[in-house]
Amino acid sequence: MDRKQSIFLKYRKIIFAVILFMVADSIVIGINFYNTYKADESAVSINLSGRQRMMSQRMTKALLTLNRSLEAEDDKGISGSLKELTLTVRRFDRTLMGFRDGSMVTGGDDNPQFLTQVETDESRGFVETAYRIWTPYMERLKPLLNSDRDSFLDEGLKQKLADPGTLEDIKSKFNKEEIFSDEEFRKKLEEIKNDPDKFAADLKVAVDFALGKNEVLGNEMHNNQALLKLMNDLTTDLEHVANRRAATLRIVLVVGILFALVNFGYTVVISIRDLMKGDRELGMARQETAEILSTVREGLFLLDKAKRIGTQFSESLPHILRRDIVPGMDFLPHLEAIAPRNIYEAAMDYIDLLLGDRVKESLVTSLNPLTNVPILVTDPRGNTQTRYLSFFFNRVIAEEEIAHLLVTVQDVTDKVVLAQQVEQAKNQAKVEIETLLRLASSDFEALQRFIENVGESLSQINEKMSAPHDEARDRLHTLNYIMRIVHGIKGESAVLGIDVLESYAHECEKEMVTMRENEETLSGDQMLRVAVLLEGFYQRHSSLAQIVSRLGNAMGRAQQSGGTADWTPQKHPFADHITALAQRIATDHGKQIEVSCQFERFFSLPKATVKELQDISIQLVRNSLAHGIETPDKRTRFNKPATGALSLWCEYLGHGQYTFTVRDDGCGIVPERLREHFVKKHIMSAEEAASLSDDEIANRIFQPGISTAETADQDSGHGIGLDAVLEKVRTMGGYMLVKSRPDQFTEFSIQFNTVHRGQNNETPDRR
Amino acid sequence: MKGINEKDIYTFVDAVSNFFLHATQEKVEIKTAYLLENDVPSSTFDLTSYITLSGDFTGRIYFSAPRTMLTHLLLVMGEQTRDNERLLDAAGEIANTISGNARKHFGETMEISVPTAQATEPDWLKTVVSPHSYVILIKWKHYRASVVVDIQRAGTEAKD
Repeated sequence: MDRKQSIFLKYRKIIFAVILFMVADSIVIGINFYNTYKADESAVSINLSGRQRMMSQRMTKALLTLNRSLEAEDDKGISGSLKELTLTVRRFDRTLMGFRDGSMVTGGDDNPQFLTQVETDESRGFVETAYRIWTPYMERLKPLLNSDRDSFLDEGLKQKLADPGTLEDIKSKFNKEEIFSDEEFRKKLEEIKNDPDKFAADLKVAVDFALGKNEVLGNEMHNNQALLKLMNDLTTDLEHVANRRAATLRIVLVVGILFALVNFGYTVVISIRDLMKGDRELGMARQETAEILSTVREGLFLLDKAKRIGTQFSESLPHILRRDIVPGMDFLPHLEAIAPRNIYEAAMDYIDLLLGDRVKESLVTSLNPLTNVPILVTDPRGNTQTRYLSFFFNRVIAEEEIAHLLVTVQDVTDKVVLAQQVEQAKNQAKVEIETLLRLASSDFEALQRFIENVGESLSQINEKMSAPHDEARDRLHTLNYIMRIVHGIKGESAVLGIDVLESYAHECEKEMVTMRENEETLSGDQMLRVAVLLEGFYQRHSSLAQIVSRLGNAMGRAQQSGGTADWTPQKHPFADHITALAQRIATDHGKQIEVSCQFERFFSLPKATVKELQDISIQLVRNSLAHGIETPDKRTRFNKPATGALSLWCEYLGHGQYTFTVRDDGCGIVPERLREHFVKKHIMSAEEAASLSDDEIANRIFQPGISTAETADQDSGHGIGLDAVLEKVRTMGGYMLVKSRPDQFTEFSIQFNTVHRGQNNETPDRR
Repeated sequence: MKGINEKDIYTFVDAVSNFFLHATQEKVEIKTAYLLENDVPSSTFDLTSYITLSGDFTGRIYFSAPRTMLTHLLLVMGEQTRDNERLLDAAGEIANTISGNARKHFGETMEISVPTAQATEPDWLKTVVSPHSYVILIKWKHYRASVVVDIQRAGTEAKD
């Protein structure tokens, strides 16, 4: 249903009443107009019928006067009477004809006017009866007037009406018709003078008829009186007709006015009722809207094409946006103030897209950049919090055009935080399982030490915090102290692969760094926050301690037993790899070897470190089997087992310190043999070799391009072995110790610290 | 896990803070906060009042203050009587304010006992509260007092 139809239906009663009023009014006006017209006609008819009465008597009087003047031979009297007779006869005749047929006659004011035919049977009866008297009367009057009435009453009038000319012309012609022209009159008088007897005889005939007994009406009246009575009756009847018409008009007017009043009353009642109903509905709608807007938790408002906020918005909007909202204000500056720049710019494009009509709303909904928008708000304590808002936009269509966008703003912080917590819990569970697996393959004693250390560290933090902090600088000092300890815990956790503590320590560190940025305003409130963080640390520490304790119990190693660890950690897969490699090289070189590996510490080391240690292991194993381990024959000669021994192990020394050792029971590093080899290979002259100390000679094996192998092979002789090992050790930030005894052993020992690697070197005070 | 957060703790501290602000027009300042352990001060002062919570959260909230501080408080409040009983009443009133805030914060389903106030020996709190309860040390004028939060959400196991 379109808008026009809707408006028509809404106001249909009023429209109907107005149309009815107009139709009825038109009818009344029409009837009124018709009756007025008829009243005019009636007035003319009554007036002229009254004149007919008078004319009938003036005519008779003129006849009698003419007769008396003729007898007295009074020329002047004859002339006047003749003129009067002519005028009254012609007017009577023409008016009577008007009553009968309807025609132009001379009105009461001597002006021509149209006389309508009589309407009622009675009137027509009077006129017809009058004609029955008038026709023979007229026949008797004609010789006196010497005129043919048809010639001037019918044809003449018709001609005048056909070409009426001006009103004055009509008047002039009319008057001339009704009286003799001077010429005619003069001729008539001469005619009377020439033959007075004939005229007297004609006059007598006419007088006799006028005064003669009337035969038409059948009573005792003269014809003259009968004509008077008939014209009188005609007048009375015309008056009755006029009165009836006036009465009808009055009734019509009264009915019309009554109808108009009823219609007006109906219209007013309908209008007032509709207005009151409309007002009531509008009031209710307004009330409902107000209730909705004051109750709804979402921020609701309309955005116009100029991106201004509408006049109506929900009460929660200012609270959600954390801004004062004034109707009609621009929305974009508010959005810019709360949303990150990139989101704000994307939002502007999105809003423009929605306000345009080029794309379907449903197609772009997924492009809405304003979901889960993080905004920073300051709580009453002055602390900054992150809250998340989601804005949803819907087009409001009016008359097939986009009128507004309905914007719904939701504070989805709880939802987002819950989702984050769920995600965090998932990660936490994953991390805990990984931690458990890692712990299961770790050094139990080291774990116990770690748990104890962390517990002590947390107690130290708590003790420090328990001192009253009167000044901001006291709090800053404590915060720095706590941060150092937390940093240490983070490092140790990383070494042991305890992600759950490492990540929590990292989170705490980040938060405390933020607190420290405003050291001037470090308050007791922030100390409370630190206490809450500390409690979180205690919780994690407690959980970890329980896990370690259960692990110990599960392996029959109750913590309280105090016995030494009989911990059989999981074997690292690299042990098999390096053993297989060593066996292959030994076989290639005709040697026999027994390899023992302890790589369990690898599980708790960063992957990159493990990778480097594996590379170092490979090189040192190649080195041992190429240069250190002797052939079985040679070993037998030196009273050593035919099978050589090669050991690789990684140890944790505490405080993030590790040592990785590769030891063989081969020929060792013998400076004298090195001198001979270098001279033989022309690496140095005999003099130079002699001038160098044993340590200096031994150190030469770490120089690039130096090899002690007789020939180059897959495993040695390229001079790129020990220098590469040394380079890797330096990269790890560690150092290497070399121990050797001729024909007994060689031991490469690499020491490194994973805690301080790549980090600042803040060390907790307790260390 | 105690299952309480910073906002919960502030509920109690704010109650004390508001009490002092309304009664004396002076703010209370948080000096520090920590967890109660053996090696740290218990912050038990001469007079201690507390309320007991049960429902979604269980435990107690303590307010402990030196006698001198409460005497000064009554003086500022225009109280003529400042004997021991009146001092305990004042401590109880503060606990009552905490109770009101707690009810508002945790909802009507929370059952909260009437406040109890008593004179306390040093370290008394250590003998009655759970390990790792929150101790919030506050300062009004030059006096120190403490709010100790020893509650946990029902269904969470208190460790420590």
